[in-house]
Amino acid sequence: MKVISIIKKDLKTILSDKKALAIIIVMPLLLMTILSSALRGAFATGDDLNIARINIAVVKQYDKDGDSRRFDKALRDGFLVKGIGEEAAAELRVTGEDVDPERIFLEDFLGSEDVAKIIAYRVEKEETAVEWLTSGEVSAVVLLPENFIYDMKINLLTPFRNKTDIRVLTHPDRSVSGQIVRSIVEAYSDSMTSIIIGKNVLIEAAVRHNLTEDGFKGMKEALDDITEAMEEIRVKIDAVEAEGRKPISSSDYYAAAMAAMFILFATGYGGRMLLEEKENITYQRMIIAGTSKLGILAGKFATVFLIALLQISIMITFSRFVLKVQWGSAYPVVLISLCAAFAIAGIGSMLAAATCRAGNYKMADIFETIVLQAMAVLGGSFFPIDILPSIMQRMSFLSISGVVLKAYLKIMMGYGVQEIMSNIAALAAIGFLTAVLSVLILRENGGMKDAQYNKAKTAGA
Amino acid sequence: MALLKVVNLHKRFGGTKAVDGISFEVDSGEVFGLLGPNGAGKSTTISIISTLILPTDGEVYYKGVNILKEPNSVRRNLGVVPQDIALYPTLTGYENLRFWGNMYGLKGAELKKRINEVSEIIGLNGRLKDRVDKYSGGMKRRLNIGAALLHKPELLIMDEPTAGIDPQSRNHILDTVLDLNRQGVTIIYTSHYMEEVEYLCSRICIMDQGRIIASGTQEELVGLVKGETRINLKLDRIDRDILQSLEAINGVAGAELVQDEIAVSGENVDMILADIIGIIAEHGMRISSIDVSKPNLESVFLHLTGKALRD
Repeated sequence: MKVISIIKKDLKTILSDKKALAIIIVMPLLLMTILSSALRGAFATGDDLNIARINIAVVKQYDKDGDSRRFDKALRDGFLVKGIGEEAAAELRVTGEDVDPERIFLEDFLGSEDVAKIIAYRVEKEETAVEWLTSGEVSAVVLLPENFIYDMKINLLTPFRNKTDIRVLTHPDRSVSGQIVRSIVEAYSDSMTSIIIGKNVLIEAAVRHNLTEDGFKGMKEALDDITEAMEEIRVKIDAVEAEGRKPISSSDYYAAAMAAMFILFATGYGGRMLLEEKENITYQRMIIAGTSKLGILAGKFATVFLIALLQISIMITFSRFVLKVQWGSAYPVVLISLCAAFAIAGIGSMLAAATCRAGNYKMADIFETIVLQAMAVLGGSFFPIDILPSIMQRMSFLSISGVVLKAYLKIMMGYGVQEIMSNIAALAAIGFLTAVLSVLILRENGGMKDAQYNKAKTAGA
Repeated sequence: MALLKVVNLHKRFGGTKAVDGISFEVDSGEVFGLLGPNGAGKSTTISIISTLILPTDGEVYYKGVNILKEPNSVRRNLGVVPQDIALYPTLTGYENLRFWGNMYGLKGAELKKRINEVSEIIGLNGRLKDRVDKYSGGMKRRLNIGAALLHKPELLIMDEPTAGIDPQSRNHILDTVLDLNRQGVTIIYTSHYMEEVEYLCSRICIMDQGRIIASGTQEELVGLVKGETRINLKLDRIDRDILQSLEAINGVAGAELVQDEIAVSGENVDMILADIIGIIAEHGMRISSIDVSKPNLESVFLHLTGKALRD
């Protein structure tokens, strides 16, 4: 009963504060409207998958002729001859002439009917490709590494296996198309790995049964399976499309980003509440009236929770009906919102307890002016984190707003609840741990000692 | 048995002794005054009695129960009116009273009834719908008192409840205190306004620098200062011979020239004012003004500490 009274009183106090309302409710609505409109180009034109295929540039970092000569030399007088025998090596040299990893990747894979529906590629020099990526002319650059031909021939034709890393550079403003290109290249890599493993198993079985030369003779047939493997990749590409990940528009992004950022302001308000009560002697008055410190803290926790939830609800409703933002399935959105509000309430309570204990607002001020802003930047509330320096990207997990934003975006893109469980768990853990810490901080003040009445006066006594 | 008993109370804040070994008792039904200048230790003493802070040493008993060990035993029966306005300015007067009533465990019809009764007592029944930040200073003070009365406390502690308000509101509050006392509420009243303590309190403790320097009824305290009734006379001219004539009057302890006035002092010199006026007339002088200063708590404090209460 007392806790409910405290919540009602605090809510009424905050909601009657026009300045507070402007910051926690009006400002995020204005910002999400302005940002989503101002940065529409960066999102919609670059990522609108309905308009055209995804343009990519392919960079050959290898020397094709050099690689082929090197492979041929290895089969003539190099370590391969010693490993597989002269006759098998001679057989592979013949087979190897027909195997062209570049053709497999560019024509059989990227040029296949299904992939070509999604991706249009151009082979370019690295410098030009990066320029195009920066200017937005292409959404991704695929880098085929040095020794690609040699390594792939080794992988495809011999029992040995060389590491081949195909890198994909993406543009942060085209995160969705970049993600799709990555997925498709990963599908290619996975399929090639399956082929290579299958081939190795074949060779190992032949060696075990003393049929080494026969094993290599069958290599040509095995390589014919690459065409089938490419079919398999198509299936995976279909799966990528079937996941239904819709592109994120600027309105989508900034609706979620502003919700994720501005709920942090509720922690600032929560952080000041206890000390304000203490300075106004209402905290002491509640203690005298027999209200427990835990009860007062619970009231603050619940108030911050409800304020954050109110903010989120207003922002979701506004963005849904005014900005036409599609938030995705209701259940995961509600789940994220509840967990986000819970985490915010925990942090608000911890800040309140620490501020109350310190006896000044420095901690709340620092949180609002530095920590909160840092979380907003690291979390991608102002700009997508892809454009931040890599060190900042690595630190983004420290941002609650980042955790919340990523969860909302995933749901908007069509991911399921399973995909956001780590975000949900992180938020719940933050809320729980900070709530426990807030109790410990307030308790550490010890008994009645913290509720000193009229401190300024008695201190001078 | 005393309602409240304070025994050898000490409180230190770092190296500062805020309360330095004070003891006193408050009987049921009395208005007990704690008088002293700012920084005397009154608020610290009240904080300890209110169960807000623990003393460094000493005991406090409420109806024989040690409240430092069982704070809840006194909280139910205790109302505290802080010196500061401990209210929520953006809420209405009614919402404030309802909130504080809730904090004291009141609800429903009982709470509503008590809000009506209390608003009558504090004289705000017509203004409860207004936000507190629209109230005058005096109205806020009255509401501050009302919030401490909702649960019908047996013991009401009032810490400088008239600080910074207009005379009319001040008189209203003083009358309210007396009314509450007549209804059986025991009151501890702290102030550095001597007149308020003299007006309200049956027994008084005078505190200074954390210690009780005197205690007793007003008469007992004033009795500590002898021969201090003083009459200041302003005359049209001054003849030094008159000082000897005045000192010769039976009951006059001394007469001296202070600037352009003659000061006559004695235990009851106001009772022999006619004799004094007669001597002045005999010397052919005319009186411009007469000022009689009777001994009071201010003079007691001055006598005991060598400084004024409001220094």
